Formats: sequence, C-alpha cells, structure tokens
Amino acid sequence: MDQNSQQAIRYWTLAQPVVSAYVTSVIRDFRDRDDVLQSIAVAILESFPSYDVSRPFVGWALGIARNQIGSYLRERRRNRLVFDGETVDLLATAFEEIETDELRSLDHLQECLDKLEGRARQLCELRYQNDLKPAAIAGLMSMTPNTVAKSLQRIREQLRQCIERRLSIKGVRS
Amino acid sequence: MNPDPHELIEGYFDEILTPEQLASLSDWIKSSSENARVFANAARLHDRLRNAMGESVLVQDEPSPKASVRSQGGLFFPASVWSTAASIAVVCFGVGLLWFLFGQANASAAIRELNRIIVQNTLSKDRTYEIVVEEIYPPIDRGANRPPTLESQRPPKPPLDGAIVHVREGNQFVLIRKTSEGLPFVTGSNGKQSWAANARGPVKVSSNIHHFDRDLPGHETSIPLTNLHEGLGRLRQAYQVQFSTLGPEEYEVSEGETARMLVAVKKPKERGPQRVEIAYESISGRILHMRFVQMPYGPDRLDLRLSLVNENDLPRDFFEHTSHHSLDRNVETEN
Repeated sequence: MDQNSQQAIRYWTLAQPVVSAYVTSVIRDFRDRDDVLQSIAVAILESFPSYDVSRPFVGWALGIARNQIGSYLRERRRNRLVFDGETVDLLATAFEEIETDELRSLDHLQECLDKLEGRARQLCELRYQNDLKPAAIAGLMSMTPNTVAKSLQRIREQLRQCIERRLSIKGVRS
Repeated sequence: MNPDPHELIEGYFDEILTPEQLASLSDWIKSSSENARVFANAARLHDRLRNAMGESVLVQDEPSPKASVRSQGGLFFPASVWSTAASIAVVCFGVGLLWFLFGQANASAAIRELNRIIVQNTLSKDRTYEIVVEEIYPPIDRGANRPPTLESQRPPKPPLDGAIVHVREGNQFVLIRKTSEGLPFVTGSNGKQSWAANARGPVKVSSNIHHFDRDLPGHETSIPLTNLHEGLGRLRQAYQVQFSTLGPEEYEVSEGETARMLVAVKKPKERGPQRVEIAYESISGRILHMRFVQMPYGPDRLDLRLSLVNENDLPRDFFEHTSHHSLDRNVETEN
C-alpha cells in the first residue's frame, strides 16, 4: 500500500463515523446507506489525490457524500430523500461542525447497550440488527406499532442518559 | 399545536411519520443551525446503534414487508472503475478498506444471510443454470505405491463444461451434458427415482435417488450442484461464511435489486471445494451465480461456475426420464 493510500485510510477512518451518520440522516434505509457508503469510500479513494490537505477532510468527504447520495438516487430513478436540498445541505454543515469531543461521546454506547436486557434488548435487536420497522416488530412481539415506536424512543433516551452519566463520571475522574 | 420536534426526530428514524410531519421536521431543521445540530446528534446515535447492534450489510432471517416494497435499482460500480488496472487497484484497496472500516461483517450475520438465501431459493420457481468449467487441476499425486482408488478405476466422467442443470425443489434435477464424442448424456431425478439416459444403451432407472450421483459434481462432498438447498445447508456447517465485495463481473439484477456476494471458505479438515462464492440479489435472495473453487470431481479438482440462465416453471413432467428420450428406448431398472 503506498503512502497516499495509507493517508487516505487514516483520514477516512476518522471521518467515516460522521459521514455514515450524515448518510443515515438523509437515507434511512440501512441497505441503501451501506450501498451509498460503499460508493462514497470508493469515490474518496479515487479522488484523494485531488484533496487539498489545507482544508478539513470531513468537509471534503461530506461534499463527496452529498454528490454520491444524489447519484445513488438518480441511478435508481427514485426520490427517496424526504428532505429538500436546502435541508440536506444544512445537515452537512451541522455534521461538519460536530466537535471531536462530541464524536467521542458515543464511544460509551457499547457499555450502555450491554446493560440492555429483556424486551428492550430484543426490540433493539429487531430494529437495528434485523432492520425491522415498528410495524413489523409489532407483529413479532405482539405489540402495537405505536407501542413499539414509543418503546424504541424510550430505549434511545435511556441510552442517551446512560452515555451522559458515563461522560460525567469520566469528567469527575479526570 | 406544533408537534414536539423530538418526537418528530424519533419518528423520522423509525419511518413512521406522515408526509405532513416530515415537512414539519424539515421546516424545524431549517429554522436554525442549532436545530440541525440536534437532529445531527440524533442521527449519530441512530447510525451508531446500527453499527453496534447490527452489521454493515443488512441481514434478515425472513423476508420482511420492507423487502417486498423496495422499488428501485441496485448499485454497480461504474464500468470505468473496472476498466483500467489502476482502477482495479483502487477498488481492491477499497475492498480491504471497506472490510476494515464498515464494522467487520461477522460470520453469524453472513450465516443468517445464507439462511435467508436458502429459504428464498427453496420457495422459488424452477431454475436453469449453465455450468462453466474455468479450471481443471491435475489429480493430487498420492504416491506411486498407493493402490488405485475405486474412483480412479472408473471410466472418465462426462465433461461438465457447458452443461446445463435444471433444478426443482424436492431433489428434482435434470443435468444435460455431452460426452467427449458430442453425444447427449442426461442424468436426472424426479425426487422419487433417479435415472440416466445415455445416447447409447438402455435408459437406467433406480429407486435410489442418489444412484447416479457418481457423475454429479459435488456429490462426494455433500455439496451437490443439483440440490442447492442441501448444498447451501452444508456450507453452514463446514464453511466459514462471510460477506464479500463483488468482483468486476456484472450481474443482471431485477428492477430494484442490488447484487451481493457471500463467500464460504472451507474449514480445516472438512471436505469439499476450497471456496464457494454466491452472488445473489440483496432483496429476493435469488442466486445469480455460484462459483466453486477446487471442487472435487472424481480424481480431479475443478473451478466451476453456475450461472442462472432461466427462472421459469418447467413442464410438470420435465424431471421424468421419459421427457428426455424417445419412448422406444429400453429402460432398465437398477437397485
């Protein structure tokens, strides 16, 4: 692997969580997200020689992501973006401005997830492992779609609180 | 009353919002950069949850309602990407990078995907595959002093290259090959009887459905090409199954589909081809092609590829031997 490629990997490793979240924010289908991320990674590798190192890599990568999202949808002759161009651009800016500390906060997610048990864990697995929507989960869990949606909302809120607790404990210790 | 933005954000990621609610959310995001930041943070959690709980490649144990309503096409890398050596290098590098970065799609997820493919292909219509032999490896030299095996003493098997195999659920198949003299040699099973119809001599029929398996690639290692269900099931036990990135081949996929690839690598001490590649449609699970690397076939080992050429229901009696020879032929029954 040449030096250029090694550098591309280093930059992309750091930027990928932000780019991935950006793609998820506008393309909710995880399959589509994975396909788009794949094409973004390839586009970044191909375009890396033209990257101006004096500019932030995340912003550059988000620009490529924006184009790839557009191409992806055009190739499929569909419009599954629910947000208009202005919103999508605003979101790109918002993702670009996320601070490094904020990015690291989700490093605690796994510890919090490990604490999930029983039905909460099951719901999370069905939603995020099997990519099922509330209506499909409801059929499997003998719940109503609305209850599933509310439960998922509660679980995510619990996870956020758990992450914040861990961050504050870490803050006190350091 | 204005809807609660947090409720809208949560609903957005679970795809339960109405068009009006989506418009409200979009307006709310646009109304301030702080709102956009709040939304971005919610997206990060949702995205990270997917990565932490799931895989980089979606897997489903059963066909889901969502799968059936996906309506648009799949992604292929542009042809230009593959057209030059430099691009190939980039893509190869990309494959490694994707593997590294996208969360190490693990074996259990790949196995679930394989299960889904098995189910989907079991339920499907009759299928016709073309077999192409890509490589023939010479027999492994086991030493001059070793006694010849029964296999090595048998007459050569009919060539497989260019053979056509039709398969139907329930151990039914018809494999059409040509002998080295160019004469048709058809082997098959209707699920209750197996049969072999050579151009010369009597048609042979057996109540043992595996009686004529000797000439079928993969039968020695329980990965028969004529029974996909059984063969794929064997992969679960004897192989490490992983997701893989597609190679440079182009696949004809159905509208709204994307091609995906599973690769199964034989575990140590297990028998069978060294590696099996399965290219399939991501939603339907329809197998587009399978490639078997170093598949044992008598004393030889072959690299061979099965490509789907047709997927239509064949006539009901197609898997009966009588559909493949003239009715005046002698029929002999073997045990």
